[in-house]
Amino acid sequence: MSAYLNTRVSLYAGRLWQDEELDTLLGVADDAFVDRLSRRGLQALVPGFAIPASRQQETRSLEQRIIAQVLDETRVLMRPMSGNARTFMTYWTARFEVSNVKTLLRSKMMGEPPATVLSQLTPMGVFGRLDNQDLAHAEDVGELLRRLEAGPYAGIVRHARRAIELSHDPFNLDAALDRGYYEGLIARGQPLEDTLGLPFRGLMANLVDRINLVWLLRYRFNYKLPPAQVYYLLVGSRYSLTGARLQQLAALDSLEAVLAALPQPWQARLAGAADIPDVFFRMEHAAAEQALSVLRSNAPDTARAFAYLVLRERDLRGVRAALRGRHLGLPDTHIRQALHRAPAEAG
Amino acid sequence: MLRAEPLLRIQLLMLASETQDAALALARFGVFNPAPSTLDALEESPAAAYREAWLEAESRLAKLVEQCGEPRPLQLPENAEAPVLADLQELNRWLKGAWNSCLASHESEAQVEEALGRLDALEETLNKLERLNVDLAHLLRQDSLLAVHIGSVPSTAVKRVTEALSMTGHLVSSFDQVGEQVFAVIAGPRARHEEVHGLLAQAGWREMPVPEELRTHPQAARAWLEQERARLKAESGAECQVMDGLREQFGPRLYEARLRLALARPLAEAAVVGVRGQGGLAALSGWIPRQKLDTLREMLEARFQGRYMLNQRAPVSSEVAEVPSLVRYPAWLEPFVPLVKSYGVPRYGEFDPALPFAITYLLLFGAMFGDIGHGAVILLLAAALYRRLGTMAWVGIAAGAVSMLFGLLYGSIFGYEDIIEPLWLSPLHDPIHVLTIAVAFGVGFIVFTLLVNARNRFIAGQVGEALFDSTGLAGLVFYLGAVGSVVSFAGAADLGWPAGLMAGAGILMVTGFKWVEARAGLGERILVTFIETLETGINLFANTLSFMRVAAFSLNHVALALAIFTLANGLGTAGHWFTIVLGNVVIIVLEGGIVAIQALRLMYYEGFSRFFSGDGTEFMPLRLSPERAKS
Repeated sequence: MSAYLNTRVSLYAGRLWQDEELDTLLGVADDAFVDRLSRRGLQALVPGFAIPASRQQETRSLEQRIIAQVLDETRVLMRPMSGNARTFMTYWTARFEVSNVKTLLRSKMMGEPPATVLSQLTPMGVFGRLDNQDLAHAEDVGELLRRLEAGPYAGIVRHARRAIELSHDPFNLDAALDRGYYEGLIARGQPLEDTLGLPFRGLMANLVDRINLVWLLRYRFNYKLPPAQVYYLLVGSRYSLTGARLQQLAALDSLEAVLAALPQPWQARLAGAADIPDVFFRMEHAAAEQALSVLRSNAPDTARAFAYLVLRERDLRGVRAALRGRHLGLPDTHIRQALHRAPAEAG
Repeated sequence: MLRAEPLLRIQLLMLASETQDAALALARFGVFNPAPSTLDALEESPAAAYREAWLEAESRLAKLVEQCGEPRPLQLPENAEAPVLADLQELNRWLKGAWNSCLASHESEAQVEEALGRLDALEETLNKLERLNVDLAHLLRQDSLLAVHIGSVPSTAVKRVTEALSMTGHLVSSFDQVGEQVFAVIAGPRARHEEVHGLLAQAGWREMPVPEELRTHPQAARAWLEQERARLKAESGAECQVMDGLREQFGPRLYEARLRLALARPLAEAAVVGVRGQGGLAALSGWIPRQKLDTLREMLEARFQGRYMLNQRAPVSSEVAEVPSLVRYPAWLEPFVPLVKSYGVPRYGEFDPALPFAITYLLLFGAMFGDIGHGAVILLLAAALYRRLGTMAWVGIAAGAVSMLFGLLYGSIFGYEDIIEPLWLSPLHDPIHVLTIAVAFGVGFIVFTLLVNARNRFIAGQVGEALFDSTGLAGLVFYLGAVGSVVSFAGAADLGWPAGLMAGAGILMVTGFKWVEARAGLGERILVTFIETLETGINLFANTLSFMRVAAFSLNHVALALAIFTLANGLGTAGHWFTIVLGNVVIIVLEGGIVAIQALRLMYYEGFSRFFSGDGTEFMPLRLSPERAKS
């Protein structure tokens, strides 16, 4: 797309951690820890970090600072983008704002005061499309929903409204919002799949298949929902886990049966997975491997940028685990378990 | 007018119980810009709860005013006091109750509307089922093996619901769509009925109750529908009456609520930057004009009678970047201020460019677009659009007038050069002279900007930059020397040696300064110094030539008119005048627009960028209310 994006992605790629490198964050002195984060452009995540221009960041939670980092890098990568690529990337950041919508709705259900609600919301910076002040001051869930339905997430929220009206179960709310968001993501990714080809389609397929399979297992075996409802809650997909395949999987009675009925290569990758987190880790590991190969290839720059963002977020989750572990004074072995990013490491 | 007013940093210590009145007094004072407190000993934020209550109350008030209407303008009594936190919280509770009453009534009305909509759908259903000749009583039998639902689902969910329900042996048959809702019949084995409940809830399925009345003969069903419709309409009328009643009930107190919230606004706004406190003590910090200190003391004394302590000090050099700029402009200069502010706000102590901007901008516009007729059209258009453009119309009026003045000097009226004699010269007949004047103007302008920059650096304590940098006095010496050398080379004056010496001395000083300032290894230092010194010369040369566009546009204006006359002269009488009129419209709109932008560009990039950092902070005084602030 542009020399700018190509160079920027290549420069950013140098900040990514290999799995074994993340382990080296453990057991080092504070100075070395800060130095290692700084070299990866993550000094803003260090506790107590404050330069005069960013004092505001100090008041944010670690989670909020991580999201701010992701948003900032996305903003930089999006500079030369236009049309479908820009629309897709903007929507990719919208999942943080959908989380804000969930927080707003839950807080209203629990009757929390506006100041408490506002402090829990993630600042979206230039990507923010909601008037958080206005929404936080809605009197109840009904008024909040009406305001949201007049805003940019009307399509997603409309699904959730009926679900909330019929049952005040937060599960219904989360499931409806998540499904609405990912269906929107697939719709916005479709035109890019046509222009960017297999590398981008592969990234999308990995993402959507992982979400569908993990949700299916969770809804079916943790929440014990009936197959038809489980199928309804999944995201309509055209990738390797198609609608027909998901219907078939949702009707099965055990985790083992579902894993055995998966198409190749998922079946081989997930063979022997003991539980749902293990399935998630293995699938995420496979997705990271694929994203890394796209990033290192001569794929279109937008696909490489998306691959970078997928990998960066995974890294940041690892850094979060390390930071929290240090903060809580946990032993390195426990933090290492939290950093468990692939089955090979898990053993 | 040319620089910001001298300010003082004040710290007002008072009883925490009187903070809201102190903030109100400072808002009435009109020139207090709140700033974060630097008193570390005061660790609490006593106004945070006040602001929170105010924000909630303000949000509820806005919704109520929108619902109930409150058109009366707010009149704040001079001696009114700001509400204390407890009052504000009580007001907030009342507003909550009032809003909930409105909301409930509003909600009931929406429900009636929705019920009417459903009734329409039911009638449609009845129409369809009538045509299908289905016996509803039979279809909806509770003891049947078949469980049947009639209802609606969002259109986006139909496909997914159909697929999901097929897994439980259920069928979905759509029979109507109203907006985004698809009406459908769902039928499936009663034995698996429980399995679909959660799914339908998730999908937003809304069961359409088919009353007993509808499970009968079609004519009886129709009668029931009419009866139900009449009942809902009566209910809707009742809701409207309730709303009117609520308006009457809340209306009078809404004005009082607006008043109290306006009085509470100053402290709530001041709390954004931080009102600090400890125990029963609170402190408000900020900036005021030095000349207003005595007035403030008198006002505080009259209001608090010694129950306060006011400290003040001049700004220190380390905080200059945070000090707001308060510049007062005469009314005639105000319209030009937004054009300067769109580039940036001058820092405290910096030279304010609004006045030279206004003069130079008009001169440049007039010189590039000198024509009595075109100027008159711009003037009249701006005057006619005064209501829409507001004070900005004065920029158009002044530009039109200056354009007319230059038209007189050039002897040009609607492009005709032979109607009146030029008072000065005709650009097309003496282009070299016009180009020389434009460049000479550019030299004068650049000298002015370098002087202003040197002054700004000096004021900011950057003496080195003021004396030796390329945009300081050394740069000016080099520039004047270089200009003298070029003038001598062109044979216009004999300044050869002195000018060359000046240029050499100037560039040596700049080079020396760049060398000292470059913090790098030897190789990089040599490279940086060389490139930056070279850049100094190239920039000043290019900037000077940039002003040739002033002459180019004045020539362009005449040339464009000539082209139109040539075209018009080849046509018949009607075509001739049509082309003349259309051509003049094109000149005014197209060329006028381009010239306005070019003049702005010259001001921003050849002028402001040289001496104006534009990263200052605007003086934002605490105000009583947005309405008052606007006035």
